[in-house]
Amino acid sequence: MSSKRPVRWRAAAAGVAAAALATGAAACSSGSSSSAVSASATQTIVFAESGLGTEGQQTQVAINAFEKANPNIKVSIQVLSSDSTTYLSQLEHDFISGSSTPDVFESDVTYPAKFAQAGWVLPLTQFNPDTSQFFSHEVAAGTYNGTLYAVPWFDNPEGLFYRTDLIKTPPTSPAQVVSDAEAAMKADPSLKEGLAFEADKYEGAITAFLTVDSAFGGTLDPSNVNTPGNVGALSWLHDAIYVNKIAPQAVTGWQEGQVEEQFVSGYTPFAIDYPFVEAQPMAASVKGHVGYIPFPAGAGGTPGSALGGEMLAINAKTAHAAAAYKLIQYLTSAPVETARAIAVGDPPSLPSAYTSALYNAAPYFQAVKTLNTYSAPRPVTPNYLTVSSDLQTLFSSVYATPSTGAAAAALAAGASSIKSAAAATPGS
Amino acid sequence: MAADVSTGAEGRPARAGRPARAWRAWKSGRPTRRPAPVGHARERGDRRLGYALVAPVIILLLAITAYPLIYNVWNAFHFDNLSYGNLPHNFVGWKNFTAMFDSPQWVSALQRTLIFTVVTIVFDMVVGLALALMMHRQFHGRGFLRAAILVPWAMPTVVSAMLWKTMFDPSSGFVDYILAAFHPAWGSLAWVNANEWRAWAAVFIADSWKNIPFVAILLLAGLQVIPNDVYEAARMDGASWWQSFRRVTLPMLKPAISVALIFRTLQALLVFDVIYIMTGGGPGNSTETLSYLSYNTFIINTDFGLGGAMSIILVLLALAVSFVYVRAFRPDTA
Repeated sequence: MSSKRPVRWRAAAAGVAAAALATGAAACSSGSSSSAVSASATQTIVFAESGLGTEGQQTQVAINAFEKANPNIKVSIQVLSSDSTTYLSQLEHDFISGSSTPDVFESDVTYPAKFAQAGWVLPLTQFNPDTSQFFSHEVAAGTYNGTLYAVPWFDNPEGLFYRTDLIKTPPTSPAQVVSDAEAAMKADPSLKEGLAFEADKYEGAITAFLTVDSAFGGTLDPSNVNTPGNVGALSWLHDAIYVNKIAPQAVTGWQEGQVEEQFVSGYTPFAIDYPFVEAQPMAASVKGHVGYIPFPAGAGGTPGSALGGEMLAINAKTAHAAAAYKLIQYLTSAPVETARAIAVGDPPSLPSAYTSALYNAAPYFQAVKTLNTYSAPRPVTPNYLTVSSDLQTLFSSVYATPSTGAAAAALAAGASSIKSAAAATPGS
Repeated sequence: MAADVSTGAEGRPARAGRPARAWRAWKSGRPTRRPAPVGHARERGDRRLGYALVAPVIILLLAITAYPLIYNVWNAFHFDNLSYGNLPHNFVGWKNFTAMFDSPQWVSALQRTLIFTVVTIVFDMVVGLALALMMHRQFHGRGFLRAAILVPWAMPTVVSAMLWKTMFDPSSGFVDYILAAFHPAWGSLAWVNANEWRAWAAVFIADSWKNIPFVAILLLAGLQVIPNDVYEAARMDGASWWQSFRRVTLPMLKPAISVALIFRTLQALLVFDVIYIMTGGGPGNSTETLSYLSYNTFIINTDFGLGGAMSIILVLLALAVSFVYVRAFRPDTA
């Protein structure tokens, strides 16, 4: 070997190391957080959101108005993925690297606990937010260990759609949903089923379950999912497929899009879905005959609805917390939320934003407001994604098992693993 | 070259352009390639230029391949879970690996993956070979058929999986519509996430539809390089179609078969997208494969330690399979 060869290798290795260090340094350079900048100072803040299309445009409209009202604050919009898992990964990459941007960001209702536990989001108590003005359930989704970390932006409640021409009076109990569906199927042969709901193995299966859950007195607490209420709710959904046969087995492959398609096409008198269904083109037989209610309560239960929606939170490393909170206040003010609801259909998180102007533009928001008073959040735990994954597997196995008692057996068998998935320390 | 490794007067290896090399070249009667000093300088310059040209690629490869690979190995021996982001990333030895081997979910996923791989490989190879033989024959419309067969392969798996999921939907797909012609009850069969076997059937069909053309095209390329003389000689010796297929086609197709097998086996072992789109691993977790479980552990559970261990085992499995194939299909054994 040549005597100079090792030297050359060392030089090459040093070069690569230098390049790697330089890259690393560049990547980390955004990690240092500078001292806090007051809201009155001239500054630019970065706002990360997932909005594309009309939602993105509406956000831009609101931001333009905010900048006009606050000439010292410029807002740079960072559009992240519209896929929720990818969106979360993108945010996590920023947070893990200690980046001070985005300063303020949109968050699904299931993320704040995870962000809070990791110390990635700023506690908002320092701004003394008036949480009483929002629907209380979404405030609960943004609260972790008694501290508020995210402000409700819009509040998307899942509920029960029904055909008012086929179901003359809305059902008042789960049993009546079954009997009404059976009667409607008998009376109208064009119906393909009596009930459509999301039973595919995905997040929507959790919200469909939650919509029904409180009607049976259930709560989705990961520390003990094996309760009579949860067994009752899951059994009702299971029996809708295999015992009462008001739902086809095909629901096991349906997500909210397929459920919506069944309802707007006039194939089903009942569907468990989100408010967006109201804004879809409908078959002539369905148009003008749409009712939207919380799932009716059974004995010992309360009307059911599941909370979906988006919140706004602030990066713990930001130097622009005051300006970021100012933006949050603006975006969650009643007139801005009303305008957004009229423009793109995002249901306001403030009861006061449900105005007559909104009802004139879209009357179904009256039903949405009622549903929002019932909507139950999914478990508020830093490990929600793991809990959700376990629950999806559990529900999916129940929906694929025709035998009665499948729900009770699965909840009994799966309770301990779901409890440990939600535990604050691994393996506990 | 001998001159490059011989020892010079100073006890150091002689290098190109040194007097020793020139002497030997003169003695042997062969001219030196280049005038010594100029050649040496140019060679060094060329080498530097070469390094400079490949450096960006090497750095990029190190950054996007080597670094994550090494980091993943590091993860596999540490506690690293974003769900517990406030806990220290302690060294845990083989704990992640033992947890994985002790997990019934992982063992089941391994079994499913291996069974899926074997079944899908056998099916794809047999059907792919049949299609290749068909496309190899002279007939009217052969060009169109070849192009048509390639279409599924040209489609991204995500798209084909979405298409097949819709096709298997009882209310909007064609599968049940056709089956209803055979039996009325089959007109409302739910496939995805309603029943383990039907879910696997749906995944298997979608996967094979996409991948059989790939096998067929590779084997067709192999068939086209077999000289016609060999077949003519076999025919003159009185060989039947089957004998000529067994004794001529298959042995001479061995290199193409080995390439198709390696590619398809690795694809099947690492199968993810078709399952992610069609079943999400359901019903329950009955269609979860190793890659899907690895994704779930990494991305959903954000457990980079356990996920790292899983991916290392998956890579080792893929390497072992490749090694076995490469050994089995060595040219000298052909």
